[in-house]
Amino acid sequence: MPGIYLHIPFCRHKCSYCDFVSFPDKLHLAEAYMACLYKEIEMRGKQLKGYTFDTVYFGGGTPSVVPPEYIYGAMKQIQKCFTLSKDPEITIEMNPGTVSENKIATYKRAGINRFSVGLQTAIDAQLQEIGRIHNVRDYLYCASLLKGMNFSADVMLGLKGQTEEDVRKTIEVAALSGATHISMYALTPEDGTPIYTDYLNGELPDEDEVASLYSFGRKLLKEKGYLRYEISNFAKRGFESRHNLNYWKRGEYIGLGISASSFIKEKRFTNTFDFDEYTKCILSGFPAVIESEDVTEQDAKFEFIMLALRTTRGFSAKEYRDKFGSDFKDDFRDAFAKTEQFLEQKGDLVRIKSRYLYVQNQILMNFMN
Amino acid sequence: MGKPNQNLRNFCIIAHIDHGKSTIADRIMELTGQVSKRDMEEQLLDSMDIERERGITIKLTPVRMYYTALDGNEYEFNLIDTPGHVDFTYEVSRSLAACEGALLVVDATQGVEAQTLANVYLALENDLEIVPVINKIDLQSARIEETKSEIEEVIGLSCEGCPCVSAKEGTNIRDILEAVVKQIPPPDGDTDAPLKALIFDSYYDNYKGVILFVRLMDGTVRTGDKIKSALGEKIYEVTEVGAFAPQLQPKTLLSAGEVGYIAASIKSIEDVAVGDTVISADHPETQPCPGYKKVQPVVFCGIYPLDGSKFLDLKDAILKLKLNDAALTFEPDNSVALGFGFRCGFLGLLHMEIIQERIEREFNLEIITTAPSVSYLVHKTDGSEFFVDNPSHLPPPSDIDYMEEPIVKAEIYSPPDYLGQIMDLCQDKRGVFKDMVYLDPKRVKIEYRLPLNEIVYDFFDEIKSRTKGYASFDYELVGYERSRLVRMDILLNGEICDALSMIVHEERAYGRGRVLCENLKDAIPRQLFEIPVQAAIGGKVIARETVKAVRKDVLAKCYGGDITRKKKLLEKQKEGKKRMRKIGTVEVPSEVFMQILKTNKD
Repeated sequence: MPGIYLHIPFCRHKCSYCDFVSFPDKLHLAEAYMACLYKEIEMRGKQLKGYTFDTVYFGGGTPSVVPPEYIYGAMKQIQKCFTLSKDPEITIEMNPGTVSENKIATYKRAGINRFSVGLQTAIDAQLQEIGRIHNVRDYLYCASLLKGMNFSADVMLGLKGQTEEDVRKTIEVAALSGATHISMYALTPEDGTPIYTDYLNGELPDEDEVASLYSFGRKLLKEKGYLRYEISNFAKRGFESRHNLNYWKRGEYIGLGISASSFIKEKRFTNTFDFDEYTKCILSGFPAVIESEDVTEQDAKFEFIMLALRTTRGFSAKEYRDKFGSDFKDDFRDAFAKTEQFLEQKGDLVRIKSRYLYVQNQILMNFMN
Repeated sequence: MGKPNQNLRNFCIIAHIDHGKSTIADRIMELTGQVSKRDMEEQLLDSMDIERERGITIKLTPVRMYYTALDGNEYEFNLIDTPGHVDFTYEVSRSLAACEGALLVVDATQGVEAQTLANVYLALENDLEIVPVINKIDLQSARIEETKSEIEEVIGLSCEGCPCVSAKEGTNIRDILEAVVKQIPPPDGDTDAPLKALIFDSYYDNYKGVILFVRLMDGTVRTGDKIKSALGEKIYEVTEVGAFAPQLQPKTLLSAGEVGYIAASIKSIEDVAVGDTVISADHPETQPCPGYKKVQPVVFCGIYPLDGSKFLDLKDAILKLKLNDAALTFEPDNSVALGFGFRCGFLGLLHMEIIQERIEREFNLEIITTAPSVSYLVHKTDGSEFFVDNPSHLPPPSDIDYMEEPIVKAEIYSPPDYLGQIMDLCQDKRGVFKDMVYLDPKRVKIEYRLPLNEIVYDFFDEIKSRTKGYASFDYELVGYERSRLVRMDILLNGEICDALSMIVHEERAYGRGRVLCENLKDAIPRQLFEIPVQAAIGGKVIARETVKAVRKDVLAKCYGGDITRKKKLLEKQKEGKKRMRKIGTVEVPSEVFMQILKTNKD
């Protein structure tokens, strides 16, 4: 079922690996921004009357850096302008350095029922190195406030000097603190971020080392009861992120706010990355879209397979047929012949064999035309 | 007997690369009003892009000029430009044969160099009057007097009163023209005798057929005349004759002593080869000009389209290049690794590079080329013998009695400081030392016998890098010698990659096999499985490396905003894959096929 994404482009300090749109210097403009966001919600609400949304996701930046009332207001506006399902999953991303009891209480009142906390690593020196504003104690405090609730911890692989022992400690901290879900991401050094320099200088673990850390982490997570359901996502049974699963099912979503992407009616479009442009457009009653692409049927088929093969469920042959009216084996005959040995089929489901999931680009390329 | 025009001067320019040959030609044309300065594109004679970029002349483009000398008479000049590279020695010899004199251009800062010498000797063999011209006198480092005495000592030419010029600044260019008038004799020949014209170049024109560049030795030729090649039987009717202005300028007639062109609806450049003689069909008994030889390719390589479906485009490109390049040979070839392509033969490495570049540039085709090879003489145990240039055509070792490989005589000119490095290199390349002569205290000539197959790898680059570019090098084929040669195969994941097979000397096989495996290991991208890279002779593995399996190739995050980006990333990755060839189960980038050339890791 469709999802709603809201981008909160503020943070206190930019992390060295971050290439998301976030303005540490514009926090004072948060109120004005939220006003625009409310207006965009209203505008899109009118266009998407027939839709029932099942998930809401506040991402950033650091959504928890703005006063919690703004988030509360945004939720009220969403409830007013969109139709939500009976039991929606509503997530907010949080930086452990920005939480308080009051904030979480306000979020809960707003209807938020899932929290995504950026732990990243349980080694303070590494947190400092990558420019995080929190330390491990902050995380533990945050987790104590979230006790008994549905929350996820993000952890990173591929940090400078990171060892298996560091990964073990991090996962143990996340697990012991009660997280129901753990996302374990390999750091991707993007050009233009400070950490890219480290990468160019060969100071970060290489791909083989990251792969080793990953397989080490995956084993540990399994021992702790977190099952891999997507390349970088692990959850206790029943705690998978519905919002994210929707992306991998190639479901529809509406993105609101600066730089947010949407996928509605076979069209992908993205809002501007520029603060002033965004506010100007919205205040004049125009969408702030800068990029829009109609997805062709051929592309749609590829996207369906590419996204679903990220998950350990894979994709259902029947769902494919229902969506496209053709058999995937006819559409991708050559690709399947070439990659058969790396795939497995279980009943109606086709997926990448577990040990090849982390090299899936090699397999996916065959499906592109 | 009719005498040719006594106010005619046919000459060419001999110079080492960079010594300013083309600039001098430009200045001469400018001064004779052939081309006005503002219309002039720099270096007019070098008409191909590649020539202009590399600053070398490959193709000869003659030009006719008129000059009123200080004696008050008007003279007609035909300037025939010559290629400056060893690969094109034969073409040079043909254009020299069309002249009575040559300007020897020597850079006052560099002195006499190897190729200059080779061409000077060629000119002397052709009985040409040589006029030394000292160029680049405007440069601070010009050593005019030393250069003069070097020319006198090394070549034995008097430099008394020779023109000293700066082509760049246009200084003393008139001295050159006066020297041409005074020192170079007018042509000999008999205008009343039957036609005899030397073909010194040709090219294919889509409308007129083959355009022959000729020097008339005897007789006349005009539109409507029946002509034939001294070697062939076919008779052609002349459709046009003319001069080079430098573009083709039709004339009513060409007569003995003159340089010009003939068009006669000739279909193929091979029907009338460079060096051949055009004679009148009415006088088939006319004796051809001496010195004709069929040019033989010396270096060979496979050329394949990067995109297998472009085979016909490649064929078209090679056929078109062949129209203008009689020296290029080709035959269809089929490689397991590279699919359909051509095995091509070239005059040398430069010729090979030029053809490769022209295919890519002028026909916009991406190609894969295999490592250059030479032609080996194989003696089979059954007593038969034949030439093989393609390693994959070599018969099994049990059928081979012995093999012979081409040997060259190499002359290296260098300042003595680099003697050690040069000798090390030659020794390394199985060279046999022959002779060493000090030309002057600063220049030494070293002579080696070297197997050609050692030269076609990285000899040029090596000699340049070991001598900081100071040494120059020239070679000529002297024959074949028996040698212990073997075919070395490269196996990827257990399968022979025929495009990487090579013929090497037995003693060199281990070293080269090891380096090649190392290079390949680095050049082949990691794939989903481990790939053994092996070098083998017969069934025996002599070197092995392993390309480890890829462990991480994934986009860590893929949420709403990442989907388009992820697709683009994959597309880019896929693009890279398109440039790869499949050898069995292994994907190999096309660059790999050139790795074989590298003998050292960078």
